Amino acid sequence: MVLEKVVEILRNYKDEQDLEVTMASTFEELELDSLDTVELVMEIEEAFDTSIEMDGELQTIGDVVTLIEKAIA
Amino acid sequence: MIKTPLCDLLNIEFPILQGGMAWISDAQLAAAVSNAGGLGIISSMNADENWLRNEIHKAKSLTDKPFGVNVMLMNPHVDKIAQVLIDEQVPVVTTGAGNPGKFMKLWIEAGIKVIPVVPSTGLARFSERAGATAVIAEGGESGGHVGEMSTMPLIPQVCDAVSIPVIAAGGIGDGRGIAAALMLGAVGVQLGTRFLVAHETNIHENYKDKIIKAKDIDTTLSGRSLGHPVRSLKTTFSKDFIKAENDPTTPPEVLEEYGRGALRIAAQEGDSLKGCFMAGQIAGMIKKKQSVKEIILTLAEETETVLKGGTQWVK
Ligand SMILES: Cc1cc2nc3c(=O)[nH]c(=O)nc-3n(C[C@H](O)[C@H](O)[C@H](O)COP(=O)(O)O)c2cc1C
Repeated sequence: MVLEKVVEILRNYKDEQDLEVTMASTFEELELDSLDTVELVMEIEEAFDTSIEMDGELQTIGDVVTLIEKAIA
Repeated sequence: MIKTPLCDLLNIEFPILQGGMAWISDAQLAAAVSNAGGLGIISSMNADENWLRNEIHKAKSLTDKPFGVNVMLMNPHVDKIAQVLIDEQVPVVTTGAGNPGKFMKLWIEAGIKVIPVVPSTGLARFSERAGATAVIAEGGESGGHVGEMSTMPLIPQVCDAVSIPVIAAGGIGDGRGIAAALMLGAVGVQLGTRFLVAHETNIHENYKDKIIKAKDIDTTLSGRSLGHPVRSLKTTFSKDFIKAENDPTTPPEVLEEYGRGALRIAAQEGDSLKGCFMAGQIAGMIKKKQSVKEIILTLAEETETVLKGGTQWVK
Protein backbone atom coordinates (compact mmCIF):
# COMPACT_ATOMS: atom_id res chain seq x y z
CA MET A 1 0.00 0.00 0.00
CA VAL A 2 1.40 3.33 -1.09
CA LEU A 3 -0.24 5.32 1.69
CA GLU A 4 1.22 3.10 4.41
CA LYS A 5 4.72 3.45 3.05
CA VAL A 6 4.31 7.20 2.64
CA VAL A 7 3.09 7.50 6.23
CA GLU A 8 6.09 5.52 7.43
CA ILE A 9 8.49 7.81 5.52
CA LEU A 10 6.69 10.84 6.86
CA ARG A 11 6.87 9.61 10.45
CA ASN A 12 10.58 8.94 10.11
CA TYR A 13 11.13 12.30 8.45
CA LYS A 14 9.43 14.13 11.28
CA ASP A 15 10.73 11.68 13.86
CA GLU A 16 7.24 11.35 15.34
CA GLN A 17 6.17 7.74 15.30
CA ASP A 18 2.58 8.37 16.36
CA LEU A 19 1.95 11.19 13.88
CA GLU A 20 -1.65 11.08 12.60
CA VAL A 21 -1.67 11.14 8.80
CA THR A 22 -4.54 10.64 6.36
CA MET A 23 -4.96 11.18 2.63
CA ALA A 24 -6.53 14.55 3.46
CA SER A 25 -3.66 15.80 5.67
CA THR A 26 -2.08 18.88 4.14
CA PHE A 27 1.63 19.62 4.22
CA GLU A 28 0.73 22.78 6.06
CA GLU A 29 -1.13 20.90 8.83
CA LEU A 30 1.86 18.61 9.15
CA GLU A 31 4.01 21.72 9.57
CA LEU A 32 6.04 21.00 6.46
CA ASP A 33 7.18 24.01 4.45
CA SER A 34 8.00 24.03 0.75
CA LEU A 35 11.61 22.95 1.35
CA ASP A 36 10.48 20.03 3.50
CA THR A 37 8.01 19.07 0.78
CA VAL A 38 10.75 18.84 -1.85
CA GLU A 39 12.94 16.83 0.50
CA LEU A 40 10.10 14.47 1.38
CA VAL A 41 8.82 13.95 -2.13
CA MET A 42 12.34 13.00 -3.17
CA GLU A 43 12.61 10.49 -0.33
CA ILE A 44 9.26 9.04 -1.30
CA GLU A 45 10.30 8.82 -4.95
CA GLU A 46 13.49 7.03 -4.00
CA ALA A 47 11.56 4.57 -1.84
CA PHE A 48 9.28 3.69 -4.78
CA ASP A 49 12.08 3.90 -7.32
CA THR A 50 10.03 6.25 -9.48
CA SER A 51 9.59 9.95 -10.03
CA ILE A 52 6.60 12.23 -10.10
CA GLU A 53 6.03 15.66 -11.57
CA MET A 54 6.28 18.33 -8.93
CA ASP A 55 4.92 20.99 -11.28
CA GLY A 56 1.39 21.15 -9.99
CA GLU A 57 0.43 22.15 -6.52
CA LEU A 58 1.06 19.36 -4.08
CA GLN A 59 -1.08 20.20 -1.07
CA THR A 60 -2.12 16.99 0.58
CA ILE A 61 -0.55 13.63 1.26
CA GLY A 62 -3.30 12.25 -0.96
CA ASP A 63 -1.93 14.29 -3.91
CA VAL A 64 1.44 12.57 -3.52
CA VAL A 65 -0.04 9.13 -3.02
CA THR A 66 -2.21 9.45 -6.12
CA LEU A 67 0.76 10.54 -8.26
CA ILE A 68 2.94 7.72 -6.98
CA GLU A 69 0.18 5.19 -7.62
CA LYS A 70 -0.12 6.47 -11.18
CA ALA A 71 3.65 6.42 -11.69
CA ILE A 72 4.10 2.80 -10.58
CA ALA A 73 0.88 1.44 -12.10
CA MET B 1 44.33 34.50 -13.47
CA ILE B 2 41.41 32.84 -11.73
CA LYS B 3 40.09 30.05 -13.94
CA THR B 4 37.56 27.46 -12.88
CA PRO B 5 35.51 24.93 -14.85
CA LEU B 6 32.64 27.43 -14.76
CA CYS B 7 34.55 29.72 -17.13
CA ASP B 8 34.55 27.10 -19.88
CA LEU B 9 31.04 25.97 -19.08
CA LEU B 10 29.56 29.45 -19.50
CA ASN B 11 32.14 30.80 -21.89
CA ILE B 12 33.23 33.63 -19.59
CA GLU B 13 36.60 34.98 -18.47
CA PHE B 14 36.02 35.26 -14.70
CA PRO B 15 33.76 32.92 -12.67
CA ILE B 16 31.68 35.87 -11.48
CA LEU B 17 27.94 36.24 -12.10
CA GLN B 18 25.96 39.41 -11.52
CA GLY B 19 22.73 38.21 -9.93
CA GLY B 20 19.39 39.11 -11.47
CA MET B 21 17.89 42.01 -9.53
CA ALA B 22 14.28 43.01 -10.16
CA TRP B 23 13.88 46.64 -11.33
CA ILE B 24 17.67 46.98 -11.33
CA SER B 25 19.61 44.61 -13.57
CA ASP B 26 18.69 45.72 -17.08
CA ALA B 27 20.45 45.29 -20.42
CA GLN B 28 22.91 48.08 -19.63
CA LEU B 29 24.21 46.51 -16.41
CA ALA B 30 24.18 42.95 -17.76
CA ALA B 31 26.08 43.94 -20.92
CA ALA B 32 28.65 45.87 -18.88
CA VAL B 33 29.28 42.83 -16.66
CA SER B 34 29.58 40.51 -19.66
CA ASN B 35 31.89 42.94 -21.44
CA ALA B 36 34.09 43.00 -18.33
CA GLY B 37 34.43 39.21 -18.44
CA GLY B 38 31.74 38.11 -15.98
CA LEU B 39 28.23 36.91 -16.71
CA GLY B 40 25.66 39.68 -16.69
CA ILE B 41 22.07 38.72 -15.95
CA ILE B 42 18.96 40.65 -16.97
CA SER B 43 16.09 40.41 -14.49
CA SER B 44 12.74 39.74 -16.13
CA MET B 45 10.83 40.06 -12.81
CA ASN B 46 7.10 40.55 -13.55
CA ALA B 47 7.69 42.05 -16.98
CA ASP B 48 5.95 40.81 -20.11
CA GLU B 49 7.50 39.19 -23.16
CA ASN B 50 7.76 42.40 -25.19
CA TRP B 51 9.74 44.18 -22.51
CA LEU B 52 12.08 41.21 -22.22
CA ARG B 53 12.58 40.80 -25.97
CA ASN B 54 13.43 44.46 -26.23
CA GLU B 55 15.89 44.25 -23.33
CA ILE B 56 17.58 41.18 -24.84
CA HIS B 57 17.97 43.02 -28.16
CA LYS B 58 19.46 45.98 -26.34
CA ALA B 59 21.96 43.74 -24.53
CA LYS B 60 22.91 42.04 -27.81
CA SER B 61 23.60 45.46 -29.31
CA LEU B 62 25.88 46.32 -26.36
CA THR B 63 27.89 43.10 -26.11
CA ASP B 64 28.80 40.07 -28.17
CA LYS B 65 29.61 38.12 -25.00
CA PRO B 66 27.13 35.70 -23.40
CA PHE B 67 24.67 37.01 -20.85
CA GLY B 68 21.78 35.46 -18.93
CA VAL B 69 18.20 36.16 -17.94
CA ASN B 70 16.71 35.65 -14.48
CA VAL B 71 13.16 34.31 -14.57
CA MET B 72 10.76 34.69 -11.71
CA LEU B 73 8.51 31.69 -12.00
CA MET B 74 5.57 33.45 -10.35
CA ASN B 75 5.53 36.00 -13.19
CA PRO B 76 2.03 35.87 -14.75
CA HIS B 77 3.67 36.12 -18.22
CA VAL B 78 6.09 33.27 -17.52
CA ASP B 79 4.89 31.02 -20.38
CA LYS B 80 5.56 33.68 -22.99
CA ILE B 81 8.82 34.71 -21.30
CA ALA B 82 9.97 31.07 -21.47
CA GLN B 83 9.40 31.08 -25.24
CA VAL B 84 11.22 34.40 -25.80
CA LEU B 85 14.31 32.91 -24.15
CA ILE B 86 14.20 30.07 -26.67
CA ASP B 87 13.51 32.33 -29.66
CA GLU B 88 16.35 34.65 -28.71
CA GLN B 89 18.70 31.76 -27.86
CA VAL B 90 19.66 33.20 -24.51
CA PRO B 91 22.56 31.00 -23.36
CA VAL B 92 21.89 30.99 -19.61
CA VAL B 93 18.71 31.18 -17.55
CA THR B 94 18.68 31.48 -13.77
CA THR B 95 15.45 30.85 -11.91
CA GLY B 96 14.04 31.89 -8.57
CA ALA B 97 10.73 31.90 -6.71
CA GLY B 98 9.24 28.61 -7.79
CA ASN B 99 9.80 25.33 -9.50
CA PRO B 100 11.27 25.49 -13.03
CA GLY B 101 10.22 21.87 -13.67
CA LYS B 102 7.60 22.82 -16.21
CA PHE B 103 10.10 24.63 -18.49
CA MET B 104 13.22 22.63 -17.80
CA LYS B 105 12.81 20.18 -20.67
CA LEU B 106 11.91 22.87 -23.22
CA TRP B 107 14.89 25.02 -22.30
CA ILE B 108 17.37 22.18 -22.16
CA GLU B 109 16.23 20.93 -25.57
CA ALA B 110 16.76 24.44 -26.90
CA GLY B 111 20.35 24.33 -25.63
CA ILE B 112 19.79 26.78 -22.79
CA LYS B 113 21.82 26.23 -19.63
CA VAL B 114 19.45 26.36 -16.67
CA ILE B 115 20.87 27.40 -13.31
CA PRO B 116 18.31 27.52 -10.48
CA VAL B 117 18.94 29.51 -7.31
CA VAL B 118 18.55 27.11 -4.38
CA PRO B 119 18.34 27.64 -0.61
CA SER B 120 18.79 23.99 0.47
CA THR B 121 20.41 20.68 -0.47
CA GLY B 122 17.00 19.17 -1.27
CA LEU B 123 16.23 21.73 -3.96
CA ALA B 124 19.78 21.41 -5.27
CA ARG B 125 19.34 17.66 -5.70
CA PHE B 126 15.92 18.18 -7.23
CA SER B 127 17.38 20.67 -9.74
CA GLU B 128 20.22 18.35 -10.65
CA ARG B 129 17.76 15.56 -11.30
CA ALA B 130 15.65 17.82 -13.51
CA GLY B 131 18.67 18.53 -15.70
CA ALA B 132 20.10 21.77 -14.31
CA THR B 133 23.56 22.68 -15.63
CA ALA B 134 24.62 24.06 -12.26
CA VAL B 135 23.01 25.54 -9.16
CA ILE B 136 23.45 28.85 -7.39
CA ALA B 137 23.37 28.14 -3.65
CA GLU B 138 22.32 31.38 -1.99
CA GLY B 139 22.67 32.06 1.73
CA GLY B 140 20.37 34.38 3.66
CA GLU B 141 23.06 37.05 4.02
CA SER B 142 22.10 38.18 0.54
CA GLY B 143 19.92 41.09 -0.43
CA GLY B 144 16.38 40.46 -1.69
CA HIS B 145 14.27 37.38 -0.93
CA VAL B 146 16.22 35.07 1.33
CA GLY B 147 16.24 31.53 2.65
CA GLU B 148 17.01 30.36 6.18
CA MET B 149 20.48 28.92 5.64
CA SER B 150 23.67 30.98 5.74
CA THR B 151 26.26 30.77 2.98
CA MET B 152 29.01 29.18 5.11
CA PRO B 153 27.10 25.99 6.03
CA LEU B 154 25.04 25.90 2.82
CA ILE B 155 27.80 25.82 0.18
CA PRO B 156 29.80 22.77 1.34
CA GLN B 157 26.61 20.81 2.01
CA VAL B 158 25.22 21.57 -1.44
CA CYS B 159 28.60 20.67 -2.96
CA ASP B 160 28.39 17.29 -1.21
CA ALA B 161 24.78 16.75 -2.28
CA VAL B 162 25.17 17.25 -6.04
CA SER B 163 27.76 16.51 -8.69
CA ILE B 164 26.93 19.49 -10.93
CA PRO B 165 28.91 22.74 -10.44
CA VAL B 166 27.89 24.94 -7.51
CA ILE B 167 27.97 28.73 -7.62
CA ALA B 168 28.00 30.49 -4.23
CA ALA B 169 25.91 33.58 -3.50
CA GLY B 170 25.03 35.65 -0.48
CA GLY B 171 27.43 37.85 1.44
CA ILE B 172 30.27 37.93 -1.06
CA GLY B 173 31.72 41.37 -1.73
CA ASP B 174 35.46 41.09 -2.31
CA GLY B 175 38.29 38.70 -3.18
CA ARG B 176 38.34 37.24 0.32
CA GLY B 177 34.72 36.20 -0.04
CA ILE B 178 35.30 34.72 -3.49
CA ALA B 179 38.38 32.81 -2.31
CA ALA B 180 36.41 31.48 0.66
CA ALA B 181 33.57 30.35 -1.61
CA LEU B 182 36.05 28.49 -3.82
CA MET B 183 37.54 26.86 -0.71
CA LEU B 184 34.07 25.70 0.31
CA GLY B 185 33.80 23.86 -2.99
CA ALA B 186 32.05 26.35 -5.27
CA VAL B 187 33.44 26.94 -8.76
CA GLY B 188 32.05 30.44 -9.09
CA VAL B 189 30.17 33.20 -7.32
CA GLN B 190 27.12 35.38 -7.84
CA LEU B 191 27.10 38.90 -6.45
CA GLY B 192 24.20 41.31 -6.20
CA THR B 193 24.76 44.00 -3.59
CA ARG B 194 28.26 44.92 -4.79
CA PHE B 195 26.93 45.72 -8.25
CA LEU B 196 24.25 48.07 -6.89
CA VAL B 197 26.81 50.89 -6.72
CA ALA B 198 28.26 50.37 -10.21
CA HIS B 199 28.20 53.42 -12.51
CA GLU B 200 26.32 51.35 -15.08
CA THR B 201 23.54 50.44 -12.64
CA ASN B 202 20.39 52.36 -13.47
CA ILE B 203 19.02 53.20 -10.04
CA HIS B 204 18.35 56.38 -8.12
CA GLU B 205 21.53 57.92 -6.70
CA ASN B 206 19.98 57.82 -3.19
CA TYR B 207 20.00 54.00 -3.40
CA LYS B 208 23.72 53.93 -4.18
CA ASP B 209 24.46 56.51 -1.46
CA LYS B 210 22.57 54.43 1.10
CA ILE B 211 24.64 51.35 0.23
CA ILE B 212 27.87 53.34 0.54
CA LYS B 213 26.75 54.70 3.91
CA ALA B 214 25.50 51.37 5.29
CA LYS B 215 27.31 49.67 8.16
CA ASP B 216 27.47 45.92 8.76
CA ILE B 217 24.39 46.00 11.02
CA ASP B 218 22.23 48.15 8.76
CA THR B 219 20.16 45.47 7.03
CA THR B 220 17.06 43.79 8.40
CA LEU B 221 14.54 41.09 7.49
CA SER B 222 10.91 41.87 6.86
CA GLY B 223 8.04 39.82 5.48
CA ARG B 224 8.76 36.70 7.56
CA SER B 225 5.07 36.41 8.43
CA LEU B 226 4.18 36.38 4.73
CA GLY B 227 6.44 33.41 4.16
CA HIS B 228 8.92 35.26 1.96
CA PRO B 229 11.38 37.23 4.07
CA VAL B 230 13.24 40.06 2.35
CA ARG B 231 16.59 41.55 3.37
CA SER B 232 16.81 45.29 2.93
CA LEU B 233 18.42 48.36 4.47
CA LYS B 234 16.85 49.66 7.67
CA THR B 235 14.78 52.64 6.58
CA THR B 236 11.57 54.31 7.69
CA PHE B 237 9.75 51.97 5.33
CA SER B 238 11.30 48.78 6.71
CA LYS B 239 10.73 49.88 10.31
CA ASP B 240 7.08 50.75 9.61
CA PHE B 241 6.62 47.48 7.75
CA ILE B 242 8.06 45.40 10.58
CA LYS B 243 5.89 47.27 13.08
CA ALA B 244 2.78 46.53 11.01
CA GLU B 245 3.89 42.93 10.60
CA ASN B 246 4.32 42.44 14.35
CA ASP B 247 0.87 43.86 15.00
CA PRO B 248 -1.46 40.84 14.98
CA THR B 249 -4.40 42.97 13.85
CA THR B 250 -2.75 43.77 10.49
CA PRO B 251 -4.29 41.52 7.81
CA PRO B 252 -1.71 39.79 5.56
CA GLU B 253 -3.33 41.35 2.45
CA VAL B 254 -2.57 44.80 3.81
CA LEU B 255 1.08 43.83 4.33
CA GLU B 256 1.33 42.37 0.82
CA GLU B 257 -0.14 45.54 -0.60
CA TYR B 258 2.21 47.65 1.52
CA GLY B 259 5.24 45.81 0.16
CA ARG B 260 4.13 45.69 -3.44
CA GLY B 261 6.17 47.94 -5.66
CA ALA B 262 8.38 49.07 -2.77
CA LEU B 263 11.58 47.93 -4.51
CA ARG B 264 10.55 49.80 -7.65
CA ILE B 265 10.03 52.97 -5.61
CA ALA B 266 13.49 52.57 -4.02
CA ALA B 267 15.18 51.93 -7.36
CA GLN B 268 13.46 54.61 -9.42
CA GLU B 269 12.49 57.30 -6.91
CA GLY B 270 14.99 56.75 -4.10
CA ASP B 271 12.23 57.48 -1.57
CA SER B 272 13.10 56.03 1.85
CA LEU B 273 9.61 56.57 3.25
CA LYS B 274 7.98 54.27 0.72
CA GLY B 275 10.86 52.40 -0.86
CA CYS B 276 12.35 49.04 0.07
CA PHE B 277 16.12 49.24 -0.49
CA MET B 278 17.00 45.58 -0.80
CA ALA B 279 20.63 44.92 0.06
CA GLY B 280 22.77 42.20 1.59
CA GLN B 281 24.78 42.19 4.82
CA ILE B 282 27.95 42.83 2.83
CA ALA B 283 26.70 46.37 2.04
CA GLY B 284 28.74 47.59 5.02
CA MET B 285 31.95 46.74 3.17
CA ILE B 286 31.07 48.60 -0.02
CA LYS B 287 32.64 52.02 0.15
CA LYS B 288 32.89 53.41 -3.34
CA LYS B 289 31.04 53.71 -6.61
CA GLN B 290 33.02 52.16 -9.43
CA SER B 291 32.59 51.05 -12.99
CA VAL B 292 31.62 47.42 -13.52
CA LYS B 293 34.99 46.81 -15.11
CA GLU B 294 36.85 48.16 -12.08
CA ILE B 295 34.72 46.03 -9.78
CA ILE B 296 35.34 42.81 -11.69
CA LEU B 297 39.06 43.37 -12.22
CA THR B 298 39.52 44.26 -8.53
CA LEU B 299 37.59 41.16 -7.47
CA ALA B 300 39.69 38.92 -9.71
CA GLU B 301 42.98 40.42 -8.54
CA GLU B 302 42.05 40.22 -4.87
CA THR B 303 40.94 36.61 -5.22
CA GLU B 304 44.23 35.67 -6.78
CA THR B 305 46.21 37.35 -4.00
CA VAL B 306 44.15 35.71 -1.27
CA LEU B 307 44.34 32.26 -2.83
CA LYS B 308 48.09 32.53 -3.33
CA GLY B 309 48.50 33.50 0.33
CA GLY B 310 46.32 30.60 1.40
CA THR B 311 49.23 28.27 1.98
CA GLN B 312 50.89 30.53 4.55
CA TRP B 313 49.42 28.56 7.44
CA VAL B 314 50.48 25.20 6.08
CA LYS B 315 53.65 24.34 7.96
C1 LIG C 1 18.14 44.66 -4.87
C2 LIG C 1 18.19 43.20 -5.11
C3 LIG C 1 17.21 42.61 -5.91
C4 LIG C 1 17.24 41.24 -6.17
N1 LIG C 1 16.29 40.68 -6.97
C5 LIG C 1 16.35 39.36 -7.29
C6 LIG C 1 15.42 38.79 -8.20
O1 LIG C 1 14.53 39.46 -8.72
N2 LIG C 1 15.53 37.47 -8.49
C7 LIG C 1 16.51 36.67 -7.92
O2 LIG C 1 16.57 35.47 -8.22
N3 LIG C 1 17.42 37.20 -7.06
C8 LIG C 1 17.37 38.52 -6.74
N4 LIG C 1 18.32 39.06 -5.91
C9 LIG C 1 19.44 38.21 -5.42
C10 LIG C 1 20.68 38.40 -6.30
O3 LIG C 1 20.47 37.88 -7.59
C11 LIG C 1 21.93 37.73 -5.69
O4 LIG C 1 21.78 36.31 -5.65
C12 LIG C 1 22.25 38.22 -4.30
O5 LIG C 1 22.21 39.63 -4.29
C13 LIG C 1 23.60 37.73 -3.84
O6 LIG C 1 23.88 38.13 -2.52
P1 LIG C 1 24.60 39.55 -2.15
O7 LIG C 1 23.51 40.56 -2.22
O8 LIG C 1 25.07 39.32 -0.75
O9 LIG C 1 25.69 39.76 -3.14
C14 LIG C 1 18.28 40.43 -5.61
C15 LIG C 1 19.26 41.05 -4.82
C16 LIG C 1 19.24 42.40 -4.56
C17 LIG C 1 20.33 43.02 -3.72
